[in-house]
Amino acid sequence: MTDVPADALMAPRRSLRQRLSDPALLLLPAFAFLAFIYVQPLIDLMMTSVEGEPWYADLARVFSTPLYFDSLIRTMQIALTVALLCALFGYPAALLIQRTRGVTQMLVATAIILPYFIAILIRTYAWMVLLGRNGPINKVAVWLGIFDEPLGLLFNRGAVLLGMTAVLLPIMVLSIYSSLTRVDPALKRAAMANGAGPLAAFWRVLLPLTLPGVGAGFLLVFVQALGFFITPTLLGGPGDMMFAMHITQQADSVTGEGFLQALAVVLLVITLVTVAVAGRLLGFEFIWGGTRAAPAPKPAKAVDRTPRRGLSATVADTVGWPLLRMVSGLQARWGAWTVRLMGGFIVAMLVIPIVVVMIISFSKASYLTFPPPAYSLRWYEKFFSDSNWMDAFWNSLGIACLSAGISVSLGATAAMGIVRSKIKYKSTVMLLLVSPMIVPPVVLGLSLYSLFLKFELVGTYLGLAAAHSIGGIPIVVVIVAAALQGVDRQLEQGAAVHGASPLTVFRTVTLPAIAPGLGAAVFFAFLHSFDELVLTLFLSSPRMKTLPLMLWGDINYQLNPVLAVVSTLEVLLVVGGIILARPVLTRRAGGH
Amino acid sequence: MIVNLAERPGASDPAAVPGAGPQPQTGIGSGISIRDAVKRYGSFAAADHISLDIQPGEFVTLLGPSGSGKTTLLNLLAGFQQLNAGEILVDGKAIHNVPVHKRGFGMVFQSYALFPNMTVAQNVAFPMRMAGLDRATSDRRVHETLEMMRLTDHAQKMPSEMSGGQQQRVAIARSIVMRPRVVLMDEPLSALDRRLRESIQIEIREIHRTIGSTFLFVTHDQSEALTMSDRIAVMDAGKIIQVDTPDEIYRRPRNRFVASFIGESNLVEAEILRREGGALTLRTRTGHQFRAESRDEVTGRNVTVLVRPERLRLHETAMPGSIPAKVRSALFLGEVLRIEVELDSGEVMLVRCPDRAGQVLPDPGSEVHVSWGAEDGWVLA
Ligand SMILES: Nc1ncnc2c1ncn2[C@@H]1O[C@H](COP(=O)(O)OP(=O)(O)O)[C@@H](O)[C@H]1O
Ligand SMILES: [Mg+2]
Repeated sequence: MTDVPADALMAPRRSLRQRLSDPALLLLPAFAFLAFIYVQPLIDLMMTSVEGEPWYADLARVFSTPLYFDSLIRTMQIALTVALLCALFGYPAALLIQRTRGVTQMLVATAIILPYFIAILIRTYAWMVLLGRNGPINKVAVWLGIFDEPLGLLFNRGAVLLGMTAVLLPIMVLSIYSSLTRVDPALKRAAMANGAGPLAAFWRVLLPLTLPGVGAGFLLVFVQALGFFITPTLLGGPGDMMFAMHITQQADSVTGEGFLQALAVVLLVITLVTVAVAGRLLGFEFIWGGTRAAPAPKPAKAVDRTPRRGLSATVADTVGWPLLRMVSGLQARWGAWTVRLMGGFIVAMLVIPIVVVMIISFSKASYLTFPPPAYSLRWYEKFFSDSNWMDAFWNSLGIACLSAGISVSLGATAAMGIVRSKIKYKSTVMLLLVSPMIVPPVVLGLSLYSLFLKFELVGTYLGLAAAHSIGGIPIVVVIVAAALQGVDRQLEQGAAVHGASPLTVFRTVTLPAIAPGLGAAVFFAFLHSFDELVLTLFLSSPRMKTLPLMLWGDINYQLNPVLAVVSTLEVLLVVGGIILARPVLTRRAGGH
Repeated sequence: MIVNLAERPGASDPAAVPGAGPQPQTGIGSGISIRDAVKRYGSFAAADHISLDIQPGEFVTLLGPSGSGKTTLLNLLAGFQQLNAGEILVDGKAIHNVPVHKRGFGMVFQSYALFPNMTVAQNVAFPMRMAGLDRATSDRRVHETLEMMRLTDHAQKMPSEMSGGQQQRVAIARSIVMRPRVVLMDEPLSALDRRLRESIQIEIREIHRTIGSTFLFVTHDQSEALTMSDRIAVMDAGKIIQVDTPDEIYRRPRNRFVASFIGESNLVEAEILRREGGALTLRTRTGHQFRAESRDEVTGRNVTVLVRPERLRLHETAMPGSIPAKVRSALFLGEVLRIEVELDSGEVMLVRCPDRAGQVLPDPGSEVHVSWGAEDGWVLA
């Protein structure tokens, strides 16, 4: 074949170059990484769960054993209750952020959002302190004469619900708040000018318009609560076992291969089905807090004269409206005061535990009591001089840095690929990238365990950092993709027209524009790894302790003020990071 | 004192609801009296001692540049903001204790502010649901009002399925469905393109005539104000500068600000030589004498004289009282020629002359002579 036309030779070469410069290729590293460490282990997990004879034997055992089946029902009940409580308390809190101004607004917003970035383990610990026999709640109640003597407020269903609600509330508040900010403020004025009192304006206009935000928050909370492990373990009693806790327990007392996996698969499938149904209703963007593109207008039927009325509208009309008219005689100020009181209560619920723990860290007492009888730095000295704690601290620091590095290099390139390429099914790709956010960590941990055994990664820096990056990548992708979308394409085109090469354009225009976003991504990926406990429980070795592991061990063994020291240091770390990241956060909050 | 504005004469009386035809309805509009109203944001006065009296059924426009306090004044009236000082009376009663939703005004917003979760019909029915009217009355009035706005075919659409102009017509329908005594409109047309704007301007005027409510309309567009209003209140920096009919505002502006904000203007610095009542004889800095009219209150020797570009005449040769000038630029705009000339003093004047047969555009640099009649100059206070 010598007489091939010249242009036929040229054509494939050009298209190869074009193909190599396609931004979609930037997705490959993250995909390869996630395929190896995330998708494949999950598939293995599922395969193992159906290896019994017949294939569904293990799955059937989950449902036929009352212990597990009851626990499953209980888990759903708890998750549902927590989601409801979060919606109930989250709405006034979100309204409070929206209605306050200036410094007050900043303080309220920080008080609600800050806890979101503090490790669940630490926030749960704070509630243990608060509810403990020597804790402030018992002290105050006895002092007021409500209790005769300190009561055991811990280790019951109420404590679990309270703790989980407090831990998950920020997610709900953020979700509702972002939908509140998307409501045109003129709508409320229009409602009022058209004769609606504050209550009617809320019921008829604000609530219906923010219902998607409530729904998204509700599902996020529900899904997270389904896989919750830390809080119910620490705050619950024997009767409050949640499903995820069985998986770790079984993992300890190695049972038959397959059954453990079946437990995990059941939890995973329930989670995924919930998300799938929710995604159909709300759009899958709810997972990463994005907004759905405006729905295509429905074809208008001019002849159809019957008003469209959904079920919710009917309920609102027949039940809610008459109720509202009954209370409409109340002063308008009542509404404002309800928001202030409830919102203020929520803020207190979120802030007080952290403040109490910070105060206790300076205690002189050798046991947990509040208020401390005297103050000292002895627990700080103990923390910094104890080689176990310090080793754990350096381990956590090293792993978190490595993990942040992996997450940001893979996540940022993937974000670039997703924003800048013209691939189809962008939202499917995005969904895949952020899906680790919704997989229960217990399931992930279990699935990774056999992979880590096979490649001898258990208890290694690299292994733990890589495992933590499974959750770090989604964080980075979401933040960097948002930052990239904010970059003015015309600036880049302008630079290119004036002779800048693609790399120069990236360096001089794109990178500076997304630098704050990248910074925030690094910080949150770092924090994610630094705080990670559940995967680490599965994947570390006795010789390899991280800070959360040490905390976990100590909390289960004895509550001492060293834990308060670690908590205080973590709070300082988060506050410092947020102050640095604030420009980005405020831009993201205001810009969408 | 709490005044219950929800009990509106005529509003709850079905006989007062006009049909689709333009039957003039008078008597439902309220008189509004704003007295020395002050609204401060910190130390900054967004409404600075504003007084304004509006007759029942009048169409008054607040006109002013952005940031002059128009929205503030409208919001004070609607009740979204509270006065720091002064008072607002509606039909002689102070309204500062009446909450927004009990004031019973109609209101149209620049952003339409249609409830996106409701159909057009539900949006229009909203005020009546809030007032607790029965379903039958509500349905009938929605139907009538939609018919009046020619929106009947869109009744079951969602707002997002409609164009901007249609959405704003729905918002207007919603604001008038209760036949309120006062309708407030805050730049309702500024988001629309010019043709649509002009057609809705006419529609709003017609609604005003039909229902007879008092209309307070806000705009920063001077031509909109001129075509729509019974009277215009020109605002600047939180103050009302002048309240007058459109022709008075245009022909006899009170000061430089009003003169230059409305229409194009030539401002000539001159010195008063003689005064005979409202007629003055003046002299320009280059020594040319001319005559102009003034309000009696004009004092001082040195004044500014307004001459509208269409009142100027251009001549090829010198005429009695004309001033020599040089053409700087000449543009053909269709119905008029727009010519800029420079006087010997260096002052630049704008001339607009209607397009006539045989007229040629003068070349830049050519010598011309400018003149105006005694009644064409207006001395600004
Ligand atoms: N809520 C507010 N806080 C502080 N300043 C305000 C507020 N609302 C309006 N202003 C200021 O008051 C002035 C008048 O505003 P506005 O009434 O909206 O003007 P207009 O509608 O004529 O454009 C502006 O300078 C604006 O910045
Ligand atoms: Mg305005």
